[in-house]
Amino acid sequence: MNWIYGSWAVLEKDIRLEMRSRYALNMLFMFVLSSLLLIAFASGQEPMSPRMQSALLWIVIVFSASIGLGRSFVAEEERGTVLLLQLNIPGSQVFAGKLIFNFLLLVAVNLVAAFVFRVLLNMTIQDVMLLASSLLLGSIGLAGVTTLLSAIIARATNRGPLLPVLLFPMLVPLLLSVVRASRHALSGGLGWAEVQGDLLTIVGFSGVVITAAFLLFDYVWTD
Amino acid sequence: MAEPVVNLKRYLLTRNLIIGWVTCVLLAAFLLNIPKINILEHTARNLYFHVPMWFTMMAAVFVSAYHSFKVLKTGDLVEDIRALQAARVGAFFGVLGLLTGIVWSKFTWYVGTDIWWNMDPRQYMVSLQLLIYGAYFVLRSALDDPRKRSRIAAVYNLFAATTTPFLLYVIPRQMESLHPGAEGNPAFSEITDPLMRLVFYPAIIGFIGIFWIVYTQRVRISLLKYRVTQDSEM
Repeated sequence: MNWIYGSWAVLEKDIRLEMRSRYALNMLFMFVLSSLLLIAFASGQEPMSPRMQSALLWIVIVFSASIGLGRSFVAEEERGTVLLLQLNIPGSQVFAGKLIFNFLLLVAVNLVAAFVFRVLLNMTIQDVMLLASSLLLGSIGLAGVTTLLSAIIARATNRGPLLPVLLFPMLVPLLLSVVRASRHALSGGLGWAEVQGDLLTIVGFSGVVITAAFLLFDYVWTD
Repeated sequence: MAEPVVNLKRYLLTRNLIIGWVTCVLLAAFLLNIPKINILEHTARNLYFHVPMWFTMMAAVFVSAYHSFKVLKTGDLVEDIRALQAARVGAFFGVLGLLTGIVWSKFTWYVGTDIWWNMDPRQYMVSLQLLIYGAYFVLRSALDDPRKRSRIAAVYNLFAATTTPFLLYVIPRQMESLHPGAEGNPAFSEITDPLMRLVFYPAIIGFIGIFWIVYTQRVRISLLKYRVTQDSEM
């Protein structure tokens, strides 16, 4: 009970801070919007295959995650509130709060990205539930990886664009299965049984990554 | 930092054994007869070099991950040096495996075409492992304090190692392969001549032995440099 309360406190603090400045949310939305508009301009009237559409959608999502979610621990470092958190709350609760916050942020961004993609690129969605579940499950895995990596880069002295470099090689298994699942959601014809393997891979990937992240987080968080 | 104690006599004996072993393997690899296979012809001898590189890289990945785990457990800087050097030597063997594979496929299946990079699952897996090690080296250079660097780099090394097994499951289902044992292709032991296997398996052991020699020597040099400069990166 205490554990849930602590995680909730971190989550609530982050949401409240986000509502005050709306920095991460605005940046993520603007990034998604502008990159999708660029894709729409660059591809022109040419109709795209479902495979290209789902690949582009996920590349935009992954890039926006690598830009927007990297701030969650860097911001604590910049505000000088790391010590306060370390003193008051055990590491795993801080991590859980941040993880859920990043997950919520990603779900919001993914929904907006899918909607804008639908309008701009005339994407036909055959199986809405399948697309929604692949977006949702993909967000869990993506949040798990980025949250620990953002804690890692917060400790680095020269951060720069470090997060994408660390993130992309790790994401490939997730990206491949998620692109495949959403491709079938766009093209339709295949039932849930066909993409079951991909969805299970996403669930397994998220489970392993989040477990490893919880185990490793204390080594990053405390000196 | 706990200085590792080495029994010099045993070390030299093992080293000489490995060198003798690899010499025998190389002689056998070039001199023994091999069956004539249509497209492969004499390039089939590359089997003795290309495949052991991949095994050696996997061994290096395990050694590196094991020492990263030890860094987190003990906080010893020697373990950090070991993890770094295993990763460096492993990355080198990965590059060698990639190059021998690319050259091999270019001059057999893809002769007369412009294809250098084919969509092979194993090729992707090696290049991803190399990317992960590239990121690992970049992360190390972004951290200043040696103690902090050892811990955080170890966390990244272990964290990245948890995702690579998924590649074994995900990638082969999505791409076709030139390799034996992949989807639809016969298994390695069914299509390889018994005599070739007699050279191939010792070649794996020999190249892992070479990895061990290079790795231990690099750790030794790195420790000496660390004693002089207090910098574990060199």
